[in-house]
Amino acid sequence: MTLPFGKRVRLVCLLGLCGAALSLFVCCQLVRGRAVSSRKLIILGIDGLDPDLLTKFMGEGKMPNFARLAAQGSFRRLTTSIPPQSPVAWSNLITGMNAGEHGIFDFIHRDPKTFQLYFSTSKVEGPKRSIHLGSWVIPLGSGSAEQLRHGKAFWEILDEHRVPNYVYRIPANFPPIAAKGKTLSGMGTPDLRGTYGTFTFYTDDPTAAAGAVEGGEVIQVEVKSNRVASDLIGPDNTFRKNAPPSTEPFTVDVDPLEPVARLSVEDQRFILKEGEWSGWVPVEFELMPVIGNVRGICRFYLKQTHPRFQLYVSPINIDPKDPALPISTPSGYSRDLARQIGEYHTQGIAEDTKALTAGVLDDKEYLEQAHTVLTEHRRAFDAEFPKFREGVFFFYFSSLDLNGHMLWRLTDPQSPAYDAAQAAQYGSALEEFYEQIDQVLGEVMPRVDDNTTLLVLSDHGFAPYRHSFNLNTWLLNNGYIARKEGASGEASEPFADVDWSRTRAYGLGLNGLYLNVRGREREGIVESGAPADALLREIRQKLLEIRDPKDGSQVITRIDFASEAYQGPYARTGPDALVGYNRGYRAGWKTILGAFPADVLEDNTNAWSGDHCMDFTKVPGVLLSNRKIAAVSPALTDIAPTILSEFGIAKTKDMMGQSVFQGR
Amino acid sequence: MTMVAHAEAIAAFRFSPLTSPLAIVVVLSLVVGLLMVVLFGYTSDQKAISRAKDQLKAHLLAVRLYRDQIPVVMGSYGKILRGTGSYLKLAFKPLLYVIIPITLLMVQIDRYLGQTPLPVNAPFLLTVHLGEQSSNAKAADASMAVDAMNKVTLELPPEITMTAPPVHIDADNEVVWRLAGTKDGEYELKIVAAGQSATKAVCVGSDLPRISTVRLRGRFWERMFSSAEPALPEKSPIESISINYPDRNIEVAGYGMNWIWLFFILSMVAGFIFKELLGIQI
Repeated sequence: MTLPFGKRVRLVCLLGLCGAALSLFVCCQLVRGRAVSSRKLIILGIDGLDPDLLTKFMGEGKMPNFARLAAQGSFRRLTTSIPPQSPVAWSNLITGMNAGEHGIFDFIHRDPKTFQLYFSTSKVEGPKRSIHLGSWVIPLGSGSAEQLRHGKAFWEILDEHRVPNYVYRIPANFPPIAAKGKTLSGMGTPDLRGTYGTFTFYTDDPTAAAGAVEGGEVIQVEVKSNRVASDLIGPDNTFRKNAPPSTEPFTVDVDPLEPVARLSVEDQRFILKEGEWSGWVPVEFELMPVIGNVRGICRFYLKQTHPRFQLYVSPINIDPKDPALPISTPSGYSRDLARQIGEYHTQGIAEDTKALTAGVLDDKEYLEQAHTVLTEHRRAFDAEFPKFREGVFFFYFSSLDLNGHMLWRLTDPQSPAYDAAQAAQYGSALEEFYEQIDQVLGEVMPRVDDNTTLLVLSDHGFAPYRHSFNLNTWLLNNGYIARKEGASGEASEPFADVDWSRTRAYGLGLNGLYLNVRGREREGIVESGAPADALLREIRQKLLEIRDPKDGSQVITRIDFASEAYQGPYARTGPDALVGYNRGYRAGWKTILGAFPADVLEDNTNAWSGDHCMDFTKVPGVLLSNRKIAAVSPALTDIAPTILSEFGIAKTKDMMGQSVFQGR
Repeated sequence: MTMVAHAEAIAAFRFSPLTSPLAIVVVLSLVVGLLMVVLFGYTSDQKAISRAKDQLKAHLLAVRLYRDQIPVVMGSYGKILRGTGSYLKLAFKPLLYVIIPITLLMVQIDRYLGQTPLPVNAPFLLTVHLGEQSSNAKAADASMAVDAMNKVTLELPPEITMTAPPVHIDADNEVVWRLAGTKDGEYELKIVAAGQSATKAVCVGSDLPRISTVRLRGRFWERMFSSAEPALPEKSPIESISINYPDRNIEVAGYGMNWIWLFFILSMVAGFIFKELLGIQI
């Protein structure tokens, strides 16, 4: 049978087209295969894993998997960031740059013109324009969530080179940047109220002062006929004039005799015994009927039913199944993960340290909550790690950092917050968290083959925080800050009573020392250049001379000038100098927000008793690998180049470090 | 084939995709869509409906054609309104024939697909609501009412455990227990109040059993729609016994939804397709 000429031409064209498509497909597969080169890199990012504690626990046989990894591969101290704060440190790791280039200097930054403080890593704003209709505010456009970290993240570069990657809860990635792989935002992700976490405590105890406490709110309730009716506090309702907080009612029916109660929230009902936690409870806040609802999740803890009613409600987390703000890439990933492992904390700092500090939760209750956080992380790890086949797998654990902060006092008899009875009961709690992290490593190590590089690292180590140094009080006492006539005591707003026309320097944030520079600050008086440098040198000299009157210890061991420590376009937008405190000392809680407590040095009796916001040389992190690390003193800025190098990708010109596996 | 193999084969079939809740809803929607159309066709005056629809179309056409002649347009609008009324009148009787059996069918299906059984070891609430008579009217004072509630007791089979003391809620005349099932199965819970006992069925597991969320005293219509258990005796001090079974969500394209929404959408689509195929006027 012969085909007519026209049909034969069409057949040849069709076959040719099919052949071309097949060749294209095969080429794509080959190119993709070459790009990935079947290498695997596993990174366990363990916030606050301290090299000294790790060495101790490995020596005591409590962390056998870490000991095996250190023996088979390498264990180094990892030079941390300046200052050694998590958002700064993780930004160094993410970008391979220092703060002068990525622009994150602290947890909080200030607008030099208005002295308004804001979160350093992200900015969430409502719509810019709106119209008012009676008590309603109708937005014209949508709001925005913007990440303030500059520079390319290592997984962006991996995406460009088609290297598959997974990044779980890395700090300083809220809202998550656009990515091809799955990412979930971590530290820096707010709760539904837009804060770093605001708990609520409901009580009928008349001695508990109602109102805001640090990191939370105390609400007085009345128990009427064994029933408590109150409201959950949601986000501010920007659809309403003056943006009052949105609320959702709930009731608690307390048994007249037994220590047990039934809670009713929306159409959900559950029973809690005294001392019991609920699971995650979804809550919907109505901002505007029909169109403006936001969903959150929270947990309840029934602390006491009789004689006093005491109920703790966790910060309302963004619901991962229906997030009100972007928290993952792809956007549906947070929901998919929730389907696999159940609801989980989405708030960046998940451990409720503020509730422990405020005395709303005690050590036992805080530890229960902290264990829940780690259990959720491990559940996510167990769900995702078995799926890892190629490329980069990054997984973050927060437990050693937050629990290092809160539990240090239980292992430190010199801490002003030390309590022998509590130490006897919970003194091993921090160690147990370290052991759990060792178990995670135990799950990873059998999957490490010749084609896999394993990096276990921390952003910084830890040190005791026994005494607070109030930098602003010291600056005031030494004539660098002037207050307005008649100002005394503590102002409600940061720097509210400061006379800027006579102020030359001020402290802000955990390590920041700023000069009041003409042209930069609203009422700056210090000329930049030589006068500013001279003033900084003078202050540095005096600060380094400060000794603790109790034992003569040096309080501040190092001060780095931004001009020397940082390079890059943002180097002059942050602090002018970074104050490096000695082990045992840290900036006081009030001074970091621009207040002036009476004493320059104070004992730290707060449960927050371990810290790392000090002299960066005193709190290095750790770096362990199954491969030999060539670098003698690796730094956080070396990690991004190391990751890229593992896949044959050259580091970008802005990256400071180099692969830790290359000799220097 | 041994008995065990038989049992395994049956179990495999029961959990196969063909018998999943989604498959059941899809098949049911197609069948119901077809039945609705056929029933509508038989019980309606097809010629009259066709005539009414034609007239409506004609008036709509008139509105378009004579839009420059206001009196004609206004007259056509009036006729459209009247025609719509006539059409609704013609459709009402057959819709009634369709709606009643469908509603009863949906009530029955909801007992299987509306909720999931209680997962093993997951806490659930058993709420016993006492009648006004037993708790208040007969009680001389509030303390006696509380006393009546305190005397309500619960007897559990060994597979069900109590995980918290009961909560007595005076304001609602309720006693609530938190329980958990330790093993798959259907069990009976026995509640004793004022010397009289009543039982409540509870399903634990992951199967597709017929679930009754509540057992009621009296309240015929409510019982018809929400209970799959016999009524509580008229003289029982207990007005209702309920269990908070979890709602069942059927996953479609990554979104979970109640079976009724899916059924509604699919049966409508099926109805429109079958109407065209069978040439039935709706």
